[in-house]
Amino acid sequence: MVGSGTGGPQLPNESGEPDKPTGKPRVKSFSCTACGASVTLRYPGASMSVVCDSCHSVIDVTDENYTILTKYYAKTGAYKPIIPLGTRGKLKDRTWEVIGYIVRSDVKSSYSWEEFLLFNPYYGYRWLVQDHGHWNFVRTIKEKPDEIAGTSWAQLGEKRYKVFNRGQAEVTYVLGEFYWRVVVGSRVYATDYICPPEMLSYEKDDNEVVWSIAEYVQARVIADAFKITIPMQYAIGVGPNQPAPITQSWQTIKLWWMVFLAVLTCAQIALAGMCLNATAFQSNYPFTPNTKATDLTTQVFTLEKGSANVKIVFEAPVDNSWFYVGGELVNDTDGTSYPFEQTVEFYSGSDSDGYWSEGAKSSSLLISAVPAGKYYLNLDTESGDYKDLTPNSFTLTVQRDVTMYANYFLCLFFVSVMPAFVWMMSRQTEVSRWSNSDFSPYPSIPTVSSSSS
Amino acid sequence: MITLNCPSCGASVNFVSKASVFAVCSFCKSTLVRQDMDLSKVGTMSDLQDDLTPLQIGTTGMFGKEKFELAGRLKVAYADGFWNEWFTVFGNEKLGWLAEAQGFYALCFPAQCEVPSKETLRPGAYVELGPAGTFQVEDVHDVRCLFSEGELPLNAKQGRESTSVDLTGDDRKMATIEYATDLTRLFVGEYQDFDEFHFQNLRHIDGW
Repeated sequence: MVGSGTGGPQLPNESGEPDKPTGKPRVKSFSCTACGASVTLRYPGASMSVVCDSCHSVIDVTDENYTILTKYYAKTGAYKPIIPLGTRGKLKDRTWEVIGYIVRSDVKSSYSWEEFLLFNPYYGYRWLVQDHGHWNFVRTIKEKPDEIAGTSWAQLGEKRYKVFNRGQAEVTYVLGEFYWRVVVGSRVYATDYICPPEMLSYEKDDNEVVWSIAEYVQARVIADAFKITIPMQYAIGVGPNQPAPITQSWQTIKLWWMVFLAVLTCAQIALAGMCLNATAFQSNYPFTPNTKATDLTTQVFTLEKGSANVKIVFEAPVDNSWFYVGGELVNDTDGTSYPFEQTVEFYSGSDSDGYWSEGAKSSSLLISAVPAGKYYLNLDTESGDYKDLTPNSFTLTVQRDVTMYANYFLCLFFVSVMPAFVWMMSRQTEVSRWSNSDFSPYPSIPTVSSSSS
Repeated sequence: MITLNCPSCGASVNFVSKASVFAVCSFCKSTLVRQDMDLSKVGTMSDLQDDLTPLQIGTTGMFGKEKFELAGRLKVAYADGFWNEWFTVFGNEKLGWLAEAQGFYALCFPAQCEVPSKETLRPGAYVELGPAGTFQVEDVHDVRCLFSEGELPLNAKQGRESTSVDLTGDDRKMATIEYATDLTRLFVGEYQDFDEFHFQNLRHIDGW
């Protein structure tokens, strides 16, 4: 083997990993120090420990004596990895061989997940982590992300990751071979930070701190890569770093929505600035309660400016009574008529809950697109009052070209329907995602249905 | 390139770098020490049992825009593992080391800077390394030379002992301080992904 590294003339080799494997891996077999069964080491020279298939002892393969690290710690077959050890698959354009399998669990909650150790002699090691049906492709990194002091964020390069989980993880089951001396029961302090589809993880034990970066992978991609034919576990809930297309849509829509709001608001402000908001006519007229009056005709007044709206305001001293106007706005020149009806009513009193009131002493109506010209109003009035029957007067005000907000608010509403819907969907996904975290930015309401409407 | 003959078997021994003072005869595995044009045998290198590196002497690669070739190797072991240090020679006689462990590759160059004594270095400690910046101590290992081959700028006999301190800096910067009995050396460099090196003439790994 050493002879191949003599620097002598070599056939030109293409860069990187060869396309097609040639030869057979130089496996090494020895007898298990604990049970005597034959143990096969797939990657001598890279692996440091291996688990005996027969008796499930963990064996140190760095010394000739094959020291037992952990003896008979569990029954073989307690877990059956969905990807059998030795399987090769292509992920991210690289071939990976599954060489090890670990089950780890949270010390406090006994929540557990499984990790497949992948190996490629050129690219080193990666992990496939399966947690309640969610899969991640993980690689350890040498860069040290900054844990932003006093916040729940970690930063790596330009990306910021939010803390999702903190805990202590323990190795509970192992199979296969590993590049370190794997110890069942060994624990690390772990913190996960998320920025879907990525997750940044910190693991610390007495000797070292290891950072790794995980990328969410769809279960079917794993099934295809490793040719898994048995059904994969159904993914439960939303994975910590599972990409949520709806949340990405919301991020985009949010921007457009804000642009629309800004444009609409600017337009409204500009339109409001151009309005006359003028009083075209104002006068007081008498009325007698509980009496119908007809044939009230106002003086002729002028409405300025092309075509614009007209607001007619009635103020009447109603108190637990009503005042009704039926009438028409009439063009003095061509006789065009704009009929309307309007009621002013106000009621108040007290009951066991205290004072109450309803209605108002003035009310108005709006007529849109009235051409400029000379106009007058024909009014019929009627009123109802059971206690105060003294004659009174009402005030009529005609305003020309008033600023309208109804259309603006209507537009706001229509522009906001879709964003509101997307926001709700996104929020539902995010609430579900964070329901597995102690660091949820959402109020700790376990059900999603309560998310505001 | 200097070509000398192995004093033990007569095979030719090439020195790509003038800085190399040590070589292992590829034919008879004699460990040789060079003084100018003289080679003297100081021992024999025993074979390496299990080796799974994709690199070999003669492998070329790119570090940034500079091309290098691997001229020698030192495989060192520590309590929990081992790694390879490949002696790299650039076209302009610039020398460096390619550190290779578990699929991580970093190229580093000798640097001149005051370094703290090894007793003061613990994982997590910060070290100021002059213009290279601030680095954090990753780990401190007592290492032993397990194997060497090719040509090397130091006497890398089997069993040579030293203490190696790995440090990481900003982005992908790294540094290594080697405390040997006779001298302390500092190397500063950077991690690169396997593909970024554009390696050529890699070793064939059976089954891959």
